[in-house]
Amino acid sequence: MNKALGGILISGLILMFADPVRPSHQELDGALTMSGAWALYPMAVKWGEEFSKLHPRVKIEVQAGGAGKGIADALAGVVDLGMVSREIHPAEIEKGAFAVAVVKDGVVPTISAKNPLLNRILASGLDKEVFVAIWITETAKTWGDALKTSDKASLHVYTRSDACGAAETWAAFLDRRQEDLKGIGVYGDPGLAEAVRRDPLGIGFNNINYAYDAKSLKPLPGLVILPIDLDGSGRIEPAENFYQDRDAITAAIARGVYPSPPARDLYLVSRGRPQTPLQVEFLRWVLSEGQKFVAETGYIGLGAQKLAEELRRIEGK
Amino acid sequence: MLALSSVPALLVGLILIGLLVRARPILAEKPFFSLFFSSVWSPLKGNFGLFPFIMGTLWVTLVSLVLAVPVSLLTAIYLSEYAPRGVREFTKPIIDLLAGLPSVIYGVWGVLLIVPLVGQVIAPLFGATSSGYSVLAGGIVLAIMILPTIISVSLEVFSSIPYPMREASLSLGATKWETVHHVVLKKGLQGIIAAVVLGLSRAFGETMAVLMVVGNIPRPPKSVFDGGYPLPALIANNYGEMMSVPLYDAALMLAAAVLLLVVLFFNVLARLILIRVERRSA
Repeated sequence: MNKALGGILISGLILMFADPVRPSHQELDGALTMSGAWALYPMAVKWGEEFSKLHPRVKIEVQAGGAGKGIADALAGVVDLGMVSREIHPAEIEKGAFAVAVVKDGVVPTISAKNPLLNRILASGLDKEVFVAIWITETAKTWGDALKTSDKASLHVYTRSDACGAAETWAAFLDRRQEDLKGIGVYGDPGLAEAVRRDPLGIGFNNINYAYDAKSLKPLPGLVILPIDLDGSGRIEPAENFYQDRDAITAAIARGVYPSPPARDLYLVSRGRPQTPLQVEFLRWVLSEGQKFVAETGYIGLGAQKLAEELRRIEGK
Repeated sequence: MLALSSVPALLVGLILIGLLVRARPILAEKPFFSLFFSSVWSPLKGNFGLFPFIMGTLWVTLVSLVLAVPVSLLTAIYLSEYAPRGVREFTKPIIDLLAGLPSVIYGVWGVLLIVPLVGQVIAPLFGATSSGYSVLAGGIVLAIMILPTIISVSLEVFSSIPYPMREASLSLGATKWETVHHVVLKKGLQGIIAAVVLGLSRAFGETMAVLMVVGNIPRPPKSVFDGGYPLPALIANNYGEMMSVPLYDAALMLAAAVLLLVVLFFNVLARLILIRVERRSA
């Protein structure tokens, strides 16, 4: 009996020393904070929930406030990870911004379902040149100017007031920057969707996840996605018409039919390469298992090669 | 005690100095005139004209005062001089509650109610077209936010006026309104000015509620139906871009310093008026 017990003890000891470095069972705990882009907010919340299920002692807090806030907070060390929905500026990288691309999404132009010219707009779409005339040069002042008809209904142009990725990306599509976009500035993604929805003569833009309803996957009631006339033919051909639901537009972005910008990568940004085990593990999980929640939340995956590349960067290779 | 009571004054000075030090790079590089009187705001191209924002602040504040001061003064007079005791006791806590509501609630309410009201009802009445996101919408929301402040301070002022003075006036044959006009308002004038300045200070600095309804267009407004862009909204909207654009942080600090100076200016002005009123009545 004694011998048997001794044997178990000894073999236990041997087992213990045989594999001394296995911290994987060590439970992660602590808090992880994120702030920034509205575009990434629903995805970050979903990831936070799922990650907390795996690691019950980890608390993840997510706050939206625009890409500018994300990068400023991350660089100031106020949050662990900033959510950024535009390209990272060189000056920000110089200040130590370490950005990891995590998913893709896109920005789409929107109008109200109450627009008096709705059918004509949906049939002809608008091309990039007209968007420039609307948002940049302000030469298109009526819907007639935009559609090249004689309609006198004036055009109410909306943009975002907060420094954000959606506006920066939409401006990039027009080869400009956010500050060049004219129009009434509305705060936040939901605010812009609401303003356009209510204004029959309004035109604006939204991240896909604020233009489409998360449950029905259709555009928000009252909001219509304005089709972009990609080939400049003055007509929306079936090949250019992929706005009917969220799956259709995300598929078009994945295929590369919808141009980029306004499709774009979304980033999680830390100050310097992430160091704490929690940050590293969260990012690693996001780029691997976390990717299976991407499609259901309304985003587009990055593709295996890009994911592997980002994983290697986190590990410093 | 003296040292302690000088702390607030010292703090204001320190904040102002801090802001000006941070704003120095832009003051050193750009001519003064172009900073304050140019209407071109495009930081990436190095244009930092603060004029649209200063005008935006002044327009929104002025509109809110024009709307709020008469209403709140008449309310305070009614509650203090005419209303039955029950009405007064019932109304006071509600006014205090209004004063304590977080500003973002006023903002949401403004977006849902005031913006469509201005865009679809008020602007067409005046033959103007407006989306509703305008100086007027900002002014209305702000007016409602500063109403409770002005009302409750004025109420305090009126209640501090001794009753025998009113009785003396009434016994000389003055009507109730004449008593209000010649005794209550006259005696309470300093206090009323103080109440308005308190409201004014809140109006200048209010950020969130105004930002949500005012349209944020960096262009000096030409009418109350145009969008405007007040200084606090500029700082709140853009603080995120400070990190990446040269001189941007200096420009925003300068905007903050300007805001502080404007508030200081109006406070000092109100003080001077008060002193004159005091001298005259002495």
